[in-house]
Amino acid sequence: MSSEGDLLHTVTTEHISATRIRTGRAMVWGAAGLFVLLATLQGFHEFERISFGFETWRPVLYAYLIWATALCAAQVIMRGEQGKRTLFVLPAVLFVVSLVVFPLLFGLYISFTDWNLASFDGKKFNGLDNLRQMWADDFYWNALKNMVYYVLAISVEYVIAFGLALLLNAQIRARKFFRVVFLLPLMLSPVAVSWMIGKSMLEVRFGPIARLSRELGWDSPSFFGSPEIARFMIMAMDAWTFIPFMMIMLLAGLQALPKEVMEASKVDGANAWQTFREVIFPLMLPVSVTAVVIRIIFKLKLADIIINVTSGGPGGATDSVTSFIFREYRDRSNVGYGTLLAMVYLVLIVIFITVLLKTVSRWMERPQ
Amino acid sequence: MKVELYNFIRAAQKMNRRQMLKGTAAVGAMAAMPGAAMADGHSNLRAEILKIPGVGAGSPTDADWQKVGAMVLEPTKANVAEGEFAGVELTFMGLNNQNLHNVLFRGFLKPWEAYTGARINWIDLAQADYNARLQQSIATGTVDFDIIEMGAPFEGDVCGRGLASEMPDWVKDQIEMDDYVGYLQEPVGTWEGKTYRVSIDGDCHNFNYRADYYEDGDLAKAWADEGHSGDWAPPETWQQVQEQTKFLSGKTDPLTGLPAHGYLDPLKGWGGFGFYFLGSRATAYAKHPDDPAFLFDPETMKPRVNNAAWVRAIQDVLDVIDAQPADQINADPGTTGFQQFLAGTGSMLSWWGDIGSSAKTSDSSVVGDVTAFSILPGSDDVWNHAKGEWETLSSGPNYAPNMAYIGWGIYVMARVDGDEKKRKAAWSAAAHLGGKDISLWCSAYPSGFQPYRQSHFNIDEWEEAGYDRAFIEDYLASEADSYNHPNAAIEPRIPGIFQYYSVAEDELAKIYAGQYGSAQEGADAIAAEWEKITDQIGRDSQIKLYRASLGL
Repeated sequence: MSSEGDLLHTVTTEHISATRIRTGRAMVWGAAGLFVLLATLQGFHEFERISFGFETWRPVLYAYLIWATALCAAQVIMRGEQGKRTLFVLPAVLFVVSLVVFPLLFGLYISFTDWNLASFDGKKFNGLDNLRQMWADDFYWNALKNMVYYVLAISVEYVIAFGLALLLNAQIRARKFFRVVFLLPLMLSPVAVSWMIGKSMLEVRFGPIARLSRELGWDSPSFFGSPEIARFMIMAMDAWTFIPFMMIMLLAGLQALPKEVMEASKVDGANAWQTFREVIFPLMLPVSVTAVVIRIIFKLKLADIIINVTSGGPGGATDSVTSFIFREYRDRSNVGYGTLLAMVYLVLIVIFITVLLKTVSRWMERPQ
Repeated sequence: MKVELYNFIRAAQKMNRRQMLKGTAAVGAMAAMPGAAMADGHSNLRAEILKIPGVGAGSPTDADWQKVGAMVLEPTKANVAEGEFAGVELTFMGLNNQNLHNVLFRGFLKPWEAYTGARINWIDLAQADYNARLQQSIATGTVDFDIIEMGAPFEGDVCGRGLASEMPDWVKDQIEMDDYVGYLQEPVGTWEGKTYRVSIDGDCHNFNYRADYYEDGDLAKAWADEGHSGDWAPPETWQQVQEQTKFLSGKTDPLTGLPAHGYLDPLKGWGGFGFYFLGSRATAYAKHPDDPAFLFDPETMKPRVNNAAWVRAIQDVLDVIDAQPADQINADPGTTGFQQFLAGTGSMLSWWGDIGSSAKTSDSSVVGDVTAFSILPGSDDVWNHAKGEWETLSSGPNYAPNMAYIGWGIYVMARVDGDEKKRKAAWSAAAHLGGKDISLWCSAYPSGFQPYRQSHFNIDEWEEAGYDRAFIEDYLASEADSYNHPNAAIEPRIPGIFQYYSVAEDELAKIYAGQYGSAQEGADAIAAEWEKITDQIGRDSQIKLYRASLGL
């Protein structure tokens, strides 16, 4: 079988006339010209270089949409069926460019401005001032430090999730029932968890857990009073919500384990611990790594429970980067600085996840 | 008329029969005149409104709010024909705190919608989300509401940018603006000479305390035994508040039998609103009678939050943290007011008037019969910022009630101005909510609003509604005395004021958690952050607006 040429087997061999090609090009370049012209005009108008322009950027957006449509149509006009194939991907690419790449670039621009929503003057470019401010911002570094604790807590979550997955994989009574029950916390919104547990069950005066603690001899139970306990409680609530997620992934991995290998280990006389250590755990490494990495990505976004229960307190002990940015952005309308913090966090996440994936890549392959 | 009565009047007034007949005819005519009849009917209306659902009859429900809304429709009918706004749709943005505010407005406006034919869509916001939502709408030019419930501190942001609609004269007449208490009249609600605000609330912090603590013999004896100076009586200064709070630690609450606590400080932020509570502790120290400013220097916008007065207030909080309920570090003002004080924990609290209006009428309150009120405590000495020294006034302790937030108002947005029918509808809805009679009901029942009109201070009306006279006199006096105080600390109406408060809350959380070496160090950090915000928003314009808000 040939491995070169048209592997997708074009069924029509239509002839594309020079006029069609010219028309297509004219459409693309004409629409692009209109888009660039309007964008430039509006840009000059925004920066008060010229007096005429539009009230909003909306006409530029329309010009972009016209250009995008023309680009897609021109593919078919200029390239026939080859162009139709391009259309399977091109709209998605344009969509991603519009909704991911452009906002990212725009965000990058915003992060180097001093945009405060209360300022009558709007946004002004302020160079590296926001970076300098971040460098001296104890709240941000404190939140980053907390993120390290939160991410480290995943190791404990993993152990619990693995244990539960093993239990639910065993031949226990009412196994299906328990599988559903253990999944329930994952179905709850973290906002609901924070209110039901953080603000109600753990409420110091009338919360049932506080009452039970008093019964057990803790005179004045306080679940969010000291930094350590507060941080632990946040970790516990988050873990309660997301352990089922890791558990279900691990359970799926366990069920996919090759039965022959397990039976072979039994035949060889391995006890339960030896089977787990020598067979199950190594075989489960790829699934484990995937579950942990996805969980880390979830954890890096931790904010809702913190915002609802502690607002980052006491004294910033439970603050996460996201909850801090939320306050900076929402309560202080400090858009420029808040965006910079988010951008820096994005870069840190990209670096961290890249290094992490590189490091764990050798465990990702299931041993043959 | 009885014959003997006729003879008696004739003899006493030296009248003949003809004069007597003239007199009785005149009295009859007077009684038949519509004005007199209306006055009578009007006072009946106010009495009837206050019976819904009745003090002590539990929390009002949606049916009650609708009833009230229907009963106060007359002023609307005088200005609007039935069905005049058919086809008009308005969007109303407001709060849903404690299931009040917008939740009530829906009920109040339902009869108005039925009469006028207009329809209202609602945007409900939690307190903590309010500031951000409003600022984003303003900055991004996406004002998607026609009517907004808003506090006066935001007037700089909204009216200063020309986003609000100017109030028509007929609205001023309908809502009887002259009835507002003095401090809510101009310049509050106005911007560059134009009026924008229908007041529905008059905010100040008053001092709520538990009277039963001071009637308790055991506590009085312990107070004397421990050698404290003076009688065991409600505190009049912050120095006394501090002493009593420390004293009460380890004692027993006379009402609940649980541990007693003194003053309740909210140590957790509340989207910027928590800063008002430090303000209530600080104003007696920081607001000198000869100086209108207490937050910033009016000439430079240099923060005063790290001067000796504010630092002393912060230190006061630190000094009594251990005497407060467990987990207080995680208590925001909503917790201290509704989950603690009204539920019987703690004996002293600064809060808005909601505590007084909820104490006897909210299902969740257990302190209705034992709560008393006064203006915020004073201080034996006051910081003279100009001289840089503490001063003892010859007149006695310095009092400076904190006019925190200056109350909620209803504002109509300029986007309705292009459509005369919509504009009239929006203003009519605002006027309905800000009417004189509906406001009486809102002051008397849980609504999120407190008294703000001269007519709210008629004790007889409250007593007739079922309030205990002593209780209501005490409550209303604490409000009126705060509003009318010559040294009231009135909040500046400058753009971004909540950014200052929000950043201060973050630093205060660190101070309360012991992460700064001293209160001064923490206060300096707040001041440094405030300087950054001022520079970012624009120092010159902030100075100009701050001075204007101080009347300089």
